Amino acid sequence: MGARPYTTAEPTPKAVTARKDVRVSVLSLDKAFGRGDAKVTAVDKVSFDIGRGEFVALLGPSGCGKSTILNMVAGLIPRTGGDILIDGKPMEQGQVRREIGYVFQRDTVFPWRSVEANVGYGLEIAGVPAGERRARVAEALDQVGLTAFAKAFPRTLSGGMRQRVALMRTLITQPEILLMDEPFGALDTHTKLEMHRILLQLWERERQTVLFVTHDLGEALTLADRIILLSARPGRLKEDFEVPLERPRDAVALRESPEFARLFSHIWHSLGEEFRKTKAE
Amino acid sequence: MASKQSSTTVLLWRVAILLLLLAVWQWGYDLRAFAALKPYVPSFLDPYFVSKPSEIWKSFLRLGCLTDRGGTLHGWSGMTACLAEDANNIWMATAVTLKNTFWGFLGGTLSGIAVGLILGRSDFLSRVFEPYIVAFNSIPRIALVPLIILMFGLGDISKIVTAWIVVFFVVFFNTFEGTRAVDRDQIAASRLLGANSWTVTRTVVIPSTLAWVFASLTPAVSFALIGVIVGEFIGAERGIGKLIVEAEARANASEMMVAIFVLMVVGILLAIGVRRIQAYLLRWQPQFDQASA
Repeated sequence: MGARPYTTAEPTPKAVTARKDVRVSVLSLDKAFGRGDAKVTAVDKVSFDIGRGEFVALLGPSGCGKSTILNMVAGLIPRTGGDILIDGKPMEQGQVRREIGYVFQRDTVFPWRSVEANVGYGLEIAGVPAGERRARVAEALDQVGLTAFAKAFPRTLSGGMRQRVALMRTLITQPEILLMDEPFGALDTHTKLEMHRILLQLWERERQTVLFVTHDLGEALTLADRIILLSARPGRLKEDFEVPLERPRDAVALRESPEFARLFSHIWHSLGEEFRKTKAE
Repeated sequence: MASKQSSTTVLLWRVAILLLLLAVWQWGYDLRAFAALKPYVPSFLDPYFVSKPSEIWKSFLRLGCLTDRGGTLHGWSGMTACLAEDANNIWMATAVTLKNTFWGFLGGTLSGIAVGLILGRSDFLSRVFEPYIVAFNSIPRIALVPLIILMFGLGDISKIVTAWIVVFFVVFFNTFEGTRAVDRDQIAASRLLGANSWTVTRTVVIPSTLAWVFASLTPAVSFALIGVIVGEFIGAERGIGKLIVEAEARANASEMMVAIFVLMVVGILLAIGVRRIQAYLLRWQPQFDQASA
């Protein structure tokens, strides 16, 4: 399973390093919308692996199909071609898997449920007894500092607090694979950094396998073990490289470190090319 | 402070206008006694048509079995005897109309929500039934009342059915639209958290559609009352509508006015009741913030 044929022009040596334990394999994944002349290729033969407990960022300019890839892995939309393997077993089309957790970019917190009822939602529908549910919800709220807002309705919360509710609503079901679609994209810089700190803390504890979609290079560097860089439309795999930053990371201190700055500027130039292409369209 | 003063001013003006209206109603027509004013007094103020506040009050006391025809107060035994004698006294009539409104409203609301959810969640069924619903909805509901009375008789059931049909369509269309407006990402989030189709409906579609359903309930409750009253006009044994038709037959404007005022009060109370329930169930929505507090 180790060496997958990456379709990037120049695979960086790091990307091909054999990983001991592959959790998710994306094999020559295609997605086209429409048919005939109106057919638009959104994702073009993208392949990559994610190891167990690895935090991978899928980075690319807007409209490069990175969210489309994520949604295909989640089973939310059918794929046009290719395969997705979870633990080596192929995923059926449109199948939603138990071990996968998903955090949306848009606010999908249920406004008619209180904060605690939102966080407890997954446990409730799984039939977890009320007593155990309460305890786990209380713990989850404590982890993200929302204990005081347990009974509040989401409309009274800020965007950052709501996204913490959404995050815990997903994490409380203990997904082994976590898919995140620009979850902090709508937040201001300060709140975003705070969310990075919280997410890193939570992830250090459970070490879920994460696929994190973003167009923010700083975010990808802060969070991920590995960055998969996609080209502008149609989405193709352009580069796949490790982030050589120590863990555990401090989301704020990291931003001030010289390695971060060096990495950032190095990738920025490669990425800048792709961003310019989208702008030119 | 300024707003407090102005709300007092508003209240004063409201009371002043009410008193003025009542005074014109009570004594306006009498101004015809002065030859100079006679051409300025409109004929619709004739108490033969609109009665007078004092007469309406007297009729109310009599219809309510609180006084006898002479206007003297009934004792306890007189009152019970009077209530027993007149099966359609104002209390009984109100109770009957309210009861029929309630059942029609309840039935129409529940069936409207159920059918709206079923068709809203199934593309196939909504396409199959669309022409039937459009066709049936094009019939003015009131045109069905004689048919309904023919089918269900002069009793309460025909009134309940009328209100039911009127309410059903209002609630159905709103529920249907509501299911179409459910946030797709919220449905996806629910599925990804392990919900099956029924759980998605129960925990996402229904609560998020409730806002639409409730938007239709305030008009629906008025429509239910209208449906029952029209049913009672056309053929009934009791109820406020029956009271009005009987008063009309005797050209008794006072009694008609009593019935109309009772309906007004009933309508206001029903609307307040619905709004209370709405404010509680939709307390998660910003616009009901104050209402629930």
